Amino acid sequence: MTMATTASARGGVPSLHALLRIAGWIGLGLIAVAVSLSDFLATAPANATAIGPLLAPPSADFRFGTDILGRDMLSETLHALSATVRSALPATVVTLLVGALFGFVAARLPRSLALTLRSLVGILASLPALLLAVLVIGLTTRDWAAVAAGLSAAPFTFVRAFDRARIEERATHSEYARATGISASTLLRRDLVYEFSDTILSSAARALAAVTLILSTVSFLGFGAVPPHRDLGLMIAAAKPYFLQAWWTAAFPAAALTLLILFARLAAGLDEGERA
Amino acid sequence: MLRFVLREAGRTGLGLVGAVLLAAAISALAAPDAGSGAWHFLVAWGHALDGFAHLDFGHSAMTGVPAGEELERRLPLTLGLVLEGFAVALIVGIPVGFLFGAGPARRAAAPLVQVLSAAPIFCAGLALAFVAANLLHWPVPRGTGVASGLTLMPKDARELETLLLPVLTVGLSGAAAAQLALRRAGAESARQPWRTQLRRMGLGAWEIETVFGVPQIFAGLLSDLGEVMLALFSAAAVAEWVFNYAGAADLFVKSVALHDWAIVSPILLSFAGLTMIAGLIGRCAAYPLVATGAAP
Repeated sequence: MTMATTASARGGVPSLHALLRIAGWIGLGLIAVAVSLSDFLATAPANATAIGPLLAPPSADFRFGTDILGRDMLSETLHALSATVRSALPATVVTLLVGALFGFVAARLPRSLALTLRSLVGILASLPALLLAVLVIGLTTRDWAAVAAGLSAAPFTFVRAFDRARIEERATHSEYARATGISASTLLRRDLVYEFSDTILSSAARALAAVTLILSTVSFLGFGAVPPHRDLGLMIAAAKPYFLQAWWTAAFPAAALTLLILFARLAAGLDEGERA
Repeated sequence: MLRFVLREAGRTGLGLVGAVLLAAAISALAAPDAGSGAWHFLVAWGHALDGFAHLDFGHSAMTGVPAGEELERRLPLTLGLVLEGFAVALIVGIPVGFLFGAGPARRAAAPLVQVLSAAPIFCAGLALAFVAANLLHWPVPRGTGVASGLTLMPKDARELETLLLPVLTVGLSGAAAAQLALRRAGAESARQPWRTQLRRMGLGAWEIETVFGVPQIFAGLLSDLGEVMLALFSAAAVAEWVFNYAGAADLFVKSVALHDWAIVSPILLSFAGLTMIAGLIGRCAAYPLVATGAAP
Protein backbone atom coordinates (compact mmCIF):
# COMPACT_ATOMS: atom_id res chain seq x y z
CA MET A 1 0.00 0.00 0.00
CA THR A 2 1.43 3.39 -0.93
CA MET A 3 1.64 6.33 1.42
CA ALA A 4 -0.92 8.22 -0.64
CA THR A 5 -3.52 5.49 -0.47
CA THR A 6 -2.99 4.99 3.25
CA ALA A 7 -3.22 8.70 3.89
CA SER A 8 -6.50 8.91 2.07
CA ALA A 9 -8.08 6.27 4.26
CA ARG A 10 -11.27 7.35 6.01
CA GLY A 11 -12.13 10.37 3.84
CA GLY A 12 -8.80 12.17 3.69
CA VAL A 13 -7.91 11.83 7.38
CA PRO A 14 -4.50 10.14 7.52
CA SER A 15 -4.62 6.75 9.22
CA LEU A 16 -2.35 5.90 12.16
CA HIS A 17 -0.32 3.76 9.77
CA ALA A 18 0.25 6.73 7.45
CA LEU A 19 1.10 9.03 10.36
CA LEU A 20 3.66 6.54 11.63
CA ARG A 21 5.23 6.31 8.17
CA ILE A 22 5.46 10.09 8.01
CA ALA A 23 7.01 10.11 11.50
CA GLY A 24 9.51 7.51 10.31
CA TRP A 25 10.57 9.62 7.33
CA ILE A 26 10.83 12.74 9.51
CA GLY A 27 13.01 10.77 11.93
CA LEU A 28 15.22 9.51 9.12
CA GLY A 29 15.45 13.11 7.82
CA LEU A 30 16.59 14.33 11.23
CA ILE A 31 19.18 11.58 11.39
CA ALA A 32 20.38 12.56 7.89
CA VAL A 33 20.78 16.15 9.11
CA ALA A 34 22.66 15.00 12.23
CA VAL A 35 24.92 12.81 10.10
CA SER A 36 25.62 15.62 7.60
CA LEU A 37 26.43 18.04 10.39
CA SER A 38 28.14 15.55 12.71
CA ASP A 39 31.53 17.28 12.45
CA PHE A 40 29.85 20.58 13.28
CA LEU A 41 27.53 19.32 16.03
CA ALA A 42 30.18 17.25 17.80
CA THR A 43 32.27 19.24 20.25
CA ALA A 44 35.26 16.92 19.88
CA PRO A 45 36.79 15.25 16.82
CA ALA A 46 36.28 11.53 16.35
CA ASN A 47 38.27 9.34 18.70
CA ALA A 48 39.77 12.30 20.63
CA THR A 49 40.85 10.91 24.01
CA ALA A 50 41.29 12.71 27.39
CA ILE A 51 38.62 15.30 26.56
CA GLY A 52 37.28 14.89 30.10
CA PRO A 53 37.69 12.71 33.19
CA LEU A 54 37.52 8.94 32.72
CA LEU A 55 34.04 7.37 32.90
CA ALA A 56 32.36 10.60 34.00
CA PRO A 57 28.55 10.19 34.19
CA PRO A 58 26.27 12.49 32.15
CA SER A 59 26.50 16.09 33.36
CA ALA A 60 26.12 19.66 32.11
CA ASP A 61 29.68 19.56 30.71
CA PHE A 62 29.39 16.12 29.12
CA ARG A 63 25.74 15.47 28.34
CA PHE A 64 26.29 11.80 27.46
CA GLY A 65 29.21 11.38 29.89
CA THR A 66 32.69 10.13 28.96
CA ASP A 67 34.13 6.68 28.35
CA ILE A 68 37.12 4.77 29.73
CA LEU A 69 39.54 6.87 27.63
CA GLY A 70 37.91 10.20 28.55
CA ARG A 71 36.21 10.57 25.14
CA ASP A 72 33.08 12.73 24.98
CA MET A 73 30.25 10.22 24.46
CA LEU A 74 27.95 12.74 22.72
CA SER A 75 30.57 13.51 20.08
CA GLU A 76 31.54 9.87 19.75
CA THR A 77 27.89 8.81 19.35
CA LEU A 78 27.38 11.40 16.59
CA HIS A 79 30.53 10.29 14.74
CA ALA A 80 29.60 6.63 15.15
CA LEU A 81 26.03 7.28 13.93
CA SER A 82 27.55 8.94 10.89
CA ALA A 83 29.83 5.93 10.28
CA THR A 84 26.90 3.52 10.65
CA VAL A 85 24.69 5.44 8.21
CA ARG A 86 27.52 5.82 5.69
CA SER A 87 28.07 2.03 5.71
CA ALA A 88 24.37 1.23 5.69
CA LEU A 89 23.56 3.28 2.58
CA PRO A 90 25.71 1.28 0.10
CA ALA A 91 24.56 -1.92 1.82
CA THR A 92 20.94 -0.86 1.21
CA VAL A 93 21.68 -0.34 -2.49
CA VAL A 94 23.25 -3.83 -2.68
CA THR A 95 20.16 -5.39 -1.07
CA LEU A 96 17.82 -3.54 -3.42
CA LEU A 97 19.80 -4.52 -6.53
CA VAL A 98 20.68 -8.11 -5.64
CA GLY A 99 17.54 -8.86 -3.66
CA ALA A 100 14.58 -6.82 -4.88
CA LEU A 101 15.54 -6.14 -8.53
CA PHE A 102 17.16 -9.49 -9.27
CA GLY A 103 14.35 -11.33 -7.46
CA PHE A 104 11.71 -9.57 -9.55
CA VAL A 105 13.55 -10.21 -12.83
CA ALA A 106 14.43 -13.82 -11.90
CA ALA A 107 10.74 -14.66 -11.49
CA ARG A 108 10.17 -13.84 -15.19
CA LEU A 109 12.94 -16.12 -16.45
CA PRO A 110 11.95 -19.49 -17.99
CA ARG A 111 10.10 -21.47 -15.32
CA SER A 112 12.75 -24.15 -14.66
CA LEU A 113 15.57 -21.59 -14.43
CA ALA A 114 13.48 -19.31 -12.21
CA LEU A 115 12.59 -22.11 -9.81
CA THR A 116 16.22 -23.30 -9.70
CA LEU A 117 17.35 -19.79 -8.79
CA ARG A 118 14.59 -19.58 -6.18
CA SER A 119 15.76 -22.87 -4.65
CA LEU A 120 19.43 -21.78 -4.61
CA VAL A 121 18.59 -18.51 -2.91
CA GLY A 122 16.28 -20.44 -0.58
CA ILE A 123 19.34 -22.35 0.70
CA LEU A 124 21.02 -19.05 1.58
CA ALA A 125 17.76 -17.84 3.15
CA SER A 126 17.83 -20.85 5.47
CA LEU A 127 21.01 -19.51 7.06
CA PRO A 128 20.86 -16.76 9.68
CA ALA A 129 21.66 -13.49 7.83
CA LEU A 130 24.07 -12.55 10.61
CA LEU A 131 26.18 -15.70 10.17
CA LEU A 132 26.06 -15.27 6.39
CA ALA A 133 27.42 -11.73 6.75
CA VAL A 134 30.17 -12.92 9.11
CA LEU A 135 31.07 -15.63 6.59
CA VAL A 136 31.25 -13.21 3.63
CA ILE A 137 33.44 -10.82 5.63
CA GLY A 138 35.64 -13.77 6.64
CA LEU A 139 36.00 -14.76 2.99
CA THR A 140 36.86 -11.18 1.99
CA THR A 141 37.99 -8.41 4.34
CA ARG A 142 36.36 -6.07 6.82
CA ASP A 143 36.39 -3.37 4.12
CA TRP A 144 33.63 -5.38 2.45
CA ALA A 145 31.39 -5.34 5.53
CA ALA A 146 28.78 -3.10 3.86
CA VAL A 147 28.59 -5.34 0.78
CA ALA A 148 28.48 -8.42 3.01
CA ALA A 149 25.58 -6.97 5.01
CA GLY A 150 23.76 -6.07 1.79
CA LEU A 151 24.31 -9.54 0.33
CA SER A 152 23.26 -11.33 3.50
CA ALA A 153 20.00 -9.35 3.68
CA ALA A 154 19.39 -9.99 -0.04
CA PRO A 155 18.14 -13.63 0.03
CA PHE A 156 15.07 -12.74 2.09
CA THR A 157 14.40 -9.69 -0.12
CA PHE A 158 14.93 -11.84 -3.24
CA VAL A 159 12.38 -14.41 -2.12
CA ARG A 160 9.84 -11.70 -1.29
CA ALA A 161 10.35 -9.90 -4.64
CA PHE A 162 10.27 -13.22 -6.51
CA ASP A 163 6.96 -14.22 -4.95
CA ARG A 164 5.46 -10.78 -5.64
CA ALA A 165 6.56 -10.98 -9.27
CA ARG A 166 4.98 -14.42 -9.64
CA ILE A 167 1.68 -13.01 -8.36
CA GLU A 168 1.98 -10.07 -10.80
CA GLU A 169 2.62 -12.51 -13.61
CA ARG A 170 -0.69 -14.23 -12.93
CA ALA A 171 -2.59 -10.92 -12.60
CA THR A 172 -5.37 -10.03 -15.03
CA HIS A 173 -3.41 -7.26 -16.75
CA SER A 174 -0.62 -9.74 -17.53
CA GLU A 175 -3.06 -12.19 -19.09
CA TYR A 176 -4.60 -9.42 -21.24
CA ALA A 177 -1.14 -8.22 -22.24
CA ARG A 178 -0.02 -11.69 -23.29
CA ALA A 179 -3.30 -12.25 -25.14
CA THR A 180 -2.81 -9.03 -27.11
CA GLY A 181 0.70 -10.03 -28.13
CA ILE A 182 2.71 -7.72 -25.86
CA SER A 183 6.16 -9.25 -25.44
CA ALA A 184 7.39 -10.67 -22.11
CA SER A 185 10.23 -8.12 -21.93
CA THR A 186 7.82 -5.17 -22.43
CA LEU A 187 5.53 -6.57 -19.75
CA LEU A 188 8.52 -7.02 -17.42
CA ARG A 189 9.64 -3.42 -18.02
CA ARG A 190 6.12 -2.18 -17.32
CA ASP A 191 5.78 -4.23 -14.14
CA LEU A 192 9.25 -3.18 -12.95
CA VAL A 193 8.43 0.51 -13.40
CA TYR A 194 5.10 0.17 -11.57
CA GLU A 195 6.56 -2.06 -8.84
CA PHE A 196 9.50 0.21 -8.11
CA SER A 197 7.69 3.54 -8.42
CA ASP A 198 5.12 2.14 -6.01
CA THR A 199 7.38 0.49 -3.47
CA ILE A 200 10.93 1.84 -3.87
CA LEU A 201 10.77 4.06 -0.80
CA SER A 202 9.33 1.44 1.51
CA SER A 203 11.65 -1.23 0.08
CA ALA A 204 14.65 1.04 0.64
CA ALA A 205 13.60 1.84 4.21
CA ARG A 206 12.97 -1.85 4.88
CA ALA A 207 16.41 -2.76 3.49
CA LEU A 208 17.99 0.05 5.52
CA ALA A 209 16.52 -1.37 8.74
CA ALA A 210 17.73 -4.88 7.88
CA VAL A 211 21.28 -3.94 6.87
CA THR A 212 21.72 -1.56 9.81
CA LEU A 213 20.80 -4.40 12.15
CA ILE A 214 23.27 -6.76 10.45
CA LEU A 215 26.07 -4.18 10.14
CA SER A 216 25.87 -3.12 13.76
CA THR A 217 25.79 -6.74 14.94
CA VAL A 218 28.82 -7.78 12.85
CA SER A 219 30.65 -4.72 14.19
CA PHE A 220 29.67 -5.74 17.71
CA LEU A 221 31.15 -9.19 17.00
CA GLY A 222 34.36 -7.57 15.70
CA PHE A 223 33.84 -8.06 11.96
CA GLY A 224 32.74 -4.56 10.94
CA ALA A 225 34.28 -1.16 11.49
CA VAL A 226 38.02 -1.10 12.11
CA PRO A 227 39.30 1.15 14.93
CA PRO A 228 39.87 4.08 15.06
CA HIS A 229 36.82 4.42 12.73
CA ARG A 230 34.09 3.35 15.14
CA ASP A 231 30.46 2.74 14.30
CA LEU A 232 27.66 2.23 16.82
CA GLY A 233 28.11 -1.55 17.02
CA LEU A 234 31.81 -1.23 17.74
CA MET A 235 31.16 1.51 20.31
CA ILE A 236 28.75 -0.77 22.18
CA ALA A 237 31.22 -3.67 21.95
CA ALA A 238 33.94 -1.45 23.41
CA ALA A 239 31.65 -0.59 26.34
CA LYS A 240 30.95 -4.26 27.14
CA PRO A 241 33.67 -4.70 29.84
CA TYR A 242 32.48 -1.78 31.98
CA PHE A 243 28.85 -0.96 31.03
CA LEU A 244 27.54 -2.63 34.21
CA GLN A 245 29.20 0.16 36.21
CA ALA A 246 28.99 2.93 33.55
CA TRP A 247 25.63 2.41 31.78
CA TRP A 248 25.96 5.56 29.66
CA THR A 249 28.86 4.13 27.66
CA ALA A 250 26.50 1.59 26.04
CA ALA A 251 23.06 3.15 26.54
CA PHE A 252 23.45 6.22 24.28
CA PRO A 253 24.95 4.43 21.27
CA ALA A 254 22.31 1.68 21.72
CA ALA A 255 19.55 4.30 21.84
CA ALA A 256 20.90 5.99 18.66
CA LEU A 257 21.04 2.62 16.89
CA THR A 258 17.55 1.63 18.01
CA LEU A 259 16.16 4.99 16.87
CA LEU A 260 17.78 4.62 13.43
CA ILE A 261 16.29 1.14 12.98
CA LEU A 262 12.94 2.21 14.45
CA PHE A 263 12.60 5.16 12.05
CA ALA A 264 13.57 2.97 9.10
CA ARG A 265 10.98 0.37 10.14
CA LEU A 266 8.29 3.03 10.56
CA ALA A 267 9.18 4.61 7.22
CA ALA A 268 8.90 1.19 5.58
CA GLY A 269 5.41 0.82 7.04
CA LEU A 270 6.31 -2.44 8.75
CA ASP A 271 3.79 -3.95 11.10
CA GLU A 272 4.87 -4.26 14.74
CA GLY A 273 7.32 -7.13 15.01
CA GLU A 274 7.42 -7.68 11.24
CA ARG A 275 10.79 -8.82 9.98
CA ALA A 276 12.74 -6.17 8.04
CA MET B 1 -1.33 -35.74 3.15
CA LEU B 2 1.24 -38.30 2.01
CA ARG B 3 1.73 -36.49 -1.31
CA PHE B 4 2.23 -33.21 0.53
CA VAL B 5 4.76 -34.75 2.93
CA LEU B 6 6.66 -36.40 0.08
CA ARG B 7 6.74 -33.17 -1.94
CA GLU B 8 7.94 -31.13 1.03
CA ALA B 9 10.50 -33.81 1.96
CA GLY B 10 11.78 -33.74 -1.62
CA ARG B 11 12.16 -29.97 -1.52
CA THR B 12 13.93 -30.14 1.83
CA GLY B 13 16.16 -32.91 0.52
CA LEU B 14 17.19 -30.74 -2.43
CA GLY B 15 17.84 -27.87 -0.05
CA LEU B 16 19.99 -30.11 2.13
CA VAL B 17 21.99 -31.24 -0.92
CA GLY B 18 22.58 -27.57 -1.78
CA ALA B 19 23.64 -26.88 1.81
CA VAL B 20 26.10 -29.80 1.68
CA LEU B 21 27.57 -28.47 -1.59
CA LEU B 22 27.93 -25.00 -0.06
CA ALA B 23 29.50 -26.33 3.14
CA ALA B 24 31.90 -28.54 1.16
CA ALA B 25 32.91 -25.53 -0.94
CA ILE B 26 33.76 -23.63 2.25
CA SER B 27 35.60 -26.65 3.66
CA ALA B 28 37.59 -26.89 0.41
CA LEU B 29 39.07 -23.46 1.19
CA ALA B 30 41.04 -25.17 3.97
CA ALA B 31 43.01 -27.19 1.39
CA PRO B 32 46.50 -25.69 0.96
CA ASP B 33 46.33 -25.35 -2.84
CA ALA B 34 42.62 -24.42 -3.12
CA GLY B 35 43.51 -20.86 -4.04
CA SER B 36 45.84 -21.86 -6.87
CA GLY B 37 43.14 -21.88 -9.54
CA ALA B 38 39.68 -23.15 -10.42
CA TRP B 39 40.85 -26.72 -11.11
CA HIS B 40 42.64 -27.02 -7.77
CA PHE B 41 39.57 -25.66 -5.99
CA LEU B 42 37.28 -28.14 -7.75
CA VAL B 43 39.59 -31.02 -6.75
CA ALA B 44 39.59 -29.79 -3.14
CA TRP B 45 35.79 -29.46 -3.31
CA GLY B 46 35.53 -33.04 -4.52
CA HIS B 47 37.77 -34.25 -1.68
CA ALA B 48 35.68 -32.28 0.81
CA LEU B 49 32.44 -33.82 -0.56
CA ASP B 50 33.98 -37.28 -0.33
CA GLY B 51 34.94 -36.53 3.28
CA PHE B 52 31.43 -35.26 4.04
CA ALA B 53 29.98 -38.48 2.64
CA HIS B 54 32.08 -40.35 5.24
CA LEU B 55 31.23 -37.80 7.98
CA ASP B 56 34.84 -36.61 7.92
CA PHE B 57 34.81 -32.81 8.05
CA GLY B 58 38.58 -32.38 8.21
CA HIS B 59 40.73 -31.03 11.02
CA SER B 60 40.86 -27.64 12.70
CA ALA B 61 43.71 -25.54 11.32
CA MET B 62 44.21 -24.04 14.78
CA THR B 63 44.02 -26.99 17.18
CA GLY B 64 44.38 -29.99 14.86
CA VAL B 65 41.29 -31.54 16.48
CA PRO B 66 38.89 -33.28 14.04
CA ALA B 67 36.06 -30.87 13.14
CA GLY B 68 33.50 -33.59 13.88
CA GLU B 69 34.77 -33.91 17.45
CA GLU B 70 34.71 -30.17 17.95
CA LEU B 71 31.15 -30.07 16.60
CA GLU B 72 30.12 -32.94 18.86
CA ARG B 73 31.44 -31.01 21.87
CA ARG B 74 30.00 -27.58 21.05
CA LEU B 75 26.77 -28.20 19.10
CA PRO B 76 24.81 -29.71 22.04
CA LEU B 77 25.47 -26.53 24.03
CA THR B 78 23.99 -24.36 21.27
CA LEU B 79 21.12 -26.76 20.67
CA GLY B 80 20.36 -26.78 24.38
CA LEU B 81 20.39 -23.00 24.43
CA VAL B 82 18.15 -22.88 21.36
CA LEU B 83 15.74 -25.48 22.80
CA GLU B 84 15.50 -23.70 26.14
CA GLY B 85 15.09 -20.42 24.26
CA PHE B 86 12.41 -22.07 22.14
CA ALA B 87 10.55 -23.07 25.30
CA VAL B 88 10.70 -19.46 26.52
CA ALA B 89 9.61 -18.31 23.04
CA LEU B 90 6.51 -20.53 23.22
CA ILE B 91 5.70 -19.67 26.84
CA VAL B 92 6.01 -15.93 26.18
CA GLY B 93 5.29 -15.66 22.45
CA ILE B 94 2.01 -17.61 22.22
CA PRO B 95 0.11 -15.80 25.01
CA VAL B 96 1.53 -12.44 23.92
CA GLY B 97 0.70 -13.23 20.29
CA PHE B 98 -2.92 -14.06 21.17
CA LEU B 99 -3.25 -11.21 23.69
CA PHE B 100 -1.85 -8.48 21.46
CA GLY B 101 -2.91 -10.04 18.17
CA ALA B 102 -6.21 -8.21 17.85
CA GLY B 103 -8.53 -5.59 19.26
CA PRO B 104 -7.72 -2.63 21.51
CA ALA B 105 -4.80 -4.46 23.19
CA ARG B 106 -3.03 -4.59 19.85
CA ARG B 107 -3.35 -0.83 19.33
CA ALA B 108 -2.22 -0.11 22.90
CA ALA B 109 0.83 -2.37 22.64
CA ALA B 110 1.78 -1.34 19.09
CA PRO B 111 4.25 1.49 19.95
CA LEU B 112 6.03 -0.66 22.56
CA VAL B 113 6.24 -3.64 20.19
CA GLN B 114 7.64 -1.36 17.45
CA VAL B 115 10.41 -0.12 19.74
CA LEU B 116 11.20 -3.63 21.00
CA SER B 117 11.31 -4.93 17.41
CA ALA B 118 13.82 -2.22 16.50
CA ALA B 119 16.25 -3.03 19.32
CA PRO B 120 19.13 -5.24 18.09
CA ILE B 121 19.41 -8.50 20.01
CA PHE B 122 22.85 -7.65 21.40
CA CYS B 123 21.41 -4.44 22.90
CA ALA B 124 18.60 -6.49 24.43
CA GLY B 125 21.15 -8.94 25.83
CA LEU B 126 23.23 -6.17 27.38
CA ALA B 127 20.10 -4.51 28.80
CA LEU B 128 19.07 -7.83 30.38
CA ALA B 129 22.57 -8.24 31.82
CA PHE B 130 22.44 -4.71 33.26
CA VAL B 131 19.03 -5.26 34.89
CA ALA B 132 20.10 -8.68 36.22
CA ALA B 133 23.36 -7.40 37.68
CA ASN B 134 22.21 -4.07 39.11
CA LEU B 135 18.58 -4.65 40.07
CA LEU B 136 18.32 -8.40 40.70
CA HIS B 137 21.96 -8.89 41.76
CA TRP B 138 22.29 -12.00 39.63
CA PRO B 139 25.72 -13.14 38.48
CA VAL B 140 26.47 -12.08 34.89
CA PRO B 141 28.60 -14.71 33.10
CA ARG B 142 32.20 -13.63 32.66
CA GLY B 143 35.37 -15.42 31.60
CA THR B 144 35.26 -17.94 28.79
CA GLY B 145 32.72 -20.54 27.89
CA VAL B 146 31.99 -23.52 30.09
CA ALA B 147 34.53 -22.28 32.62
CA SER B 148 32.25 -19.30 33.26
CA GLY B 149 29.77 -21.67 34.95
CA LEU B 150 27.14 -21.96 32.25
CA THR B 151 25.56 -25.40 32.27
CA LEU B 152 22.43 -26.43 30.43
CA MET B 153 21.03 -28.36 33.39
CA PRO B 154 21.46 -26.08 36.41
CA LYS B 155 21.88 -27.84 39.74
CA ASP B 156 21.12 -24.91 42.03
CA ALA B 157 19.55 -21.45 41.99
CA ARG B 158 22.90 -19.76 41.32
CA GLU B 159 23.51 -21.80 38.17
CA LEU B 160 19.93 -21.20 37.07
CA GLU B 161 20.36 -17.43 37.44
CA THR B 162 23.56 -17.58 35.36
CA LEU B 163 21.88 -19.60 32.64
CA LEU B 164 18.71 -17.50 32.54
CA LEU B 165 20.32 -14.48 30.86
CA PRO B 166 21.42 -16.19 27.62
CA VAL B 167 18.25 -18.31 27.57
CA LEU B 168 16.06 -15.22 28.00
CA THR B 169 18.00 -13.36 25.29
CA VAL B 170 17.49 -16.22 22.83
CA GLY B 171 13.94 -16.82 24.01
CA LEU B 172 12.82 -13.22 23.62
CA SER B 173 14.11 -13.18 20.06
CA GLY B 174 12.22 -16.40 19.36
CA ALA B 175 9.14 -15.01 21.11
CA ALA B 176 9.20 -11.99 18.79
CA ALA B 177 9.32 -14.31 15.77
CA ALA B 178 6.56 -16.54 17.21
CA GLN B 179 4.22 -13.68 18.02
CA LEU B 180 4.80 -12.24 14.53
CA ALA B 181 3.85 -15.59 12.99
CA LEU B 182 0.73 -15.72 15.17
CA ARG B 183 -0.26 -12.16 14.26
CA ARG B 184 0.19 -12.90 10.57
CA ALA B 185 -1.85 -16.08 10.83
CA GLY B 186 -4.48 -14.28 12.92
CA ALA B 187 -4.86 -11.56 10.30
CA GLU B 188 -5.09 -14.21 7.56
CA SER B 189 -7.71 -16.15 9.52
CA ALA B 190 -9.77 -12.99 10.14
CA ARG B 191 -10.00 -12.40 6.38
CA GLN B 192 -11.32 -15.87 5.53
CA PRO B 193 -14.69 -15.83 3.72
CA TRP B 194 -15.88 -18.99 5.51
CA ARG B 195 -16.40 -16.98 8.70
CA THR B 196 -19.48 -15.28 7.21
CA GLN B 197 -20.83 -18.58 5.92
CA LEU B 198 -20.40 -20.21 9.33
CA ARG B 199 -22.19 -17.32 11.05
CA ARG B 200 -25.07 -17.69 8.59
CA MET B 201 -25.18 -21.38 9.47
CA GLY B 202 -25.84 -20.33 13.06
CA LEU B 203 -22.45 -20.99 14.66
CA GLY B 204 -21.43 -18.67 17.48
CA ALA B 205 -18.29 -16.51 17.40
CA TRP B 206 -16.61 -18.59 20.13
CA GLU B 207 -17.27 -21.84 18.28
CA ILE B 208 -15.94 -20.42 15.01
CA GLU B 209 -12.79 -19.21 16.72
CA THR B 210 -12.04 -22.35 18.72
CA VAL B 211 -13.00 -24.98 16.15
CA PHE B 212 -11.84 -23.27 12.95
CA GLY B 213 -9.82 -20.14 13.80
CA VAL B 214 -7.38 -21.40 16.43
CA PRO B 215 -6.20 -24.45 14.43
CA GLN B 216 -5.49 -22.18 11.48
CA ILE B 217 -3.56 -19.72 13.63
CA PHE B 218 -1.47 -22.55 15.12
CA ALA B 219 -0.93 -23.86 11.62
CA GLY B 220 0.49 -20.43 10.72
CA LEU B 221 2.91 -20.65 13.64
CA LEU B 222 3.97 -24.16 12.65
CA SER B 223 4.45 -23.16 9.00
CA ASP B 224 6.84 -20.43 10.14
CA LEU B 225 8.83 -22.77 12.40
CA GLY B 226 11.86 -22.45 10.12
CA GLU B 227 11.77 -18.66 10.50
CA VAL B 228 11.51 -18.99 14.29
CA MET B 229 14.55 -21.30 14.22
CA LEU B 230 16.48 -18.72 12.17
CA ALA B 231 15.71 -16.07 14.79
CA LEU B 232 16.80 -18.47 17.55
CA PHE B 233 20.12 -19.35 15.87
CA SER B 234 20.91 -15.67 15.19
CA ALA B 235 20.13 -14.82 18.79
CA ALA B 236 22.20 -17.80 20.00
CA ALA B 237 25.24 -16.47 18.12
CA VAL B 238 24.89 -13.08 19.80
CA ALA B 239 23.99 -14.47 23.26
CA GLU B 240 26.97 -16.83 23.23
CA TRP B 241 29.24 -13.90 22.39
CA VAL B 242 27.72 -11.55 24.97
CA PHE B 243 27.64 -14.10 27.79
CA ASN B 244 30.87 -15.99 26.97
CA TYR B 245 29.07 -19.25 26.28
CA ALA B 246 31.26 -21.79 24.48
CA GLY B 247 28.68 -23.10 22.01
CA ALA B 248 28.87 -23.84 18.29
CA ALA B 249 27.68 -20.37 17.23
CA ASP B 250 30.48 -18.76 19.25
CA LEU B 251 32.92 -21.24 17.72
CA PHE B 252 31.61 -20.33 14.24
CA VAL B 253 32.33 -16.63 14.77
CA LYS B 254 35.81 -17.30 16.16
CA SER B 255 36.62 -19.82 13.42
CA VAL B 256 35.64 -17.39 10.66
CA ALA B 257 37.90 -14.78 12.26
CA LEU B 258 40.77 -17.30 12.22
CA HIS B 259 39.88 -18.61 8.73
CA ASP B 260 39.49 -22.10 10.18
CA TRP B 261 37.19 -23.24 7.36
CA ALA B 262 37.18 -26.92 8.35
CA ILE B 263 35.34 -25.92 11.54
CA VAL B 264 33.13 -23.29 9.88
CA SER B 265 31.61 -25.60 7.25
CA PRO B 266 30.05 -28.32 9.48
CA ILE B 267 28.61 -25.69 11.83
CA LEU B 268 27.05 -23.86 8.89
CA LEU B 269 25.72 -27.14 7.53
CA SER B 270 24.24 -28.05 10.93
CA PHE B 271 22.45 -24.73 11.28
CA ALA B 272 21.11 -24.78 7.72
CA GLY B 273 20.06 -28.43 8.04
CA LEU B 274 18.32 -27.92 11.37
CA THR B 275 16.47 -24.85 10.06
CA MET B 276 15.32 -26.73 6.95
CA ILE B 277 14.24 -29.79 8.94
CA ALA B 278 12.39 -27.61 11.47
CA GLY B 279 10.64 -25.90 8.54
CA LEU B 280 9.70 -29.30 7.07
CA ILE B 281 8.36 -30.60 10.39
CA GLY B 282 6.41 -27.38 10.92
CA ARG B 283 4.83 -27.43 7.45
CA CYS B 284 3.91 -31.11 7.75
CA ALA B 285 2.43 -30.59 11.22
CA ALA B 286 0.49 -27.56 9.96
CA TYR B 287 -1.04 -29.41 7.02
CA PRO B 288 -3.72 -31.41 8.92
CA LEU B 289 -4.58 -28.33 11.01
CA VAL B 290 -5.18 -26.28 7.87
CA ALA B 291 -7.13 -29.14 6.36
CA THR B 292 -9.49 -29.32 9.36
CA GLY B 293 -9.59 -25.61 10.18
CA ALA B 294 -9.81 -23.92 6.82
CA ALA B 295 -12.24 -26.19 5.07
CA PRO B 296 -15.36 -26.40 7.24
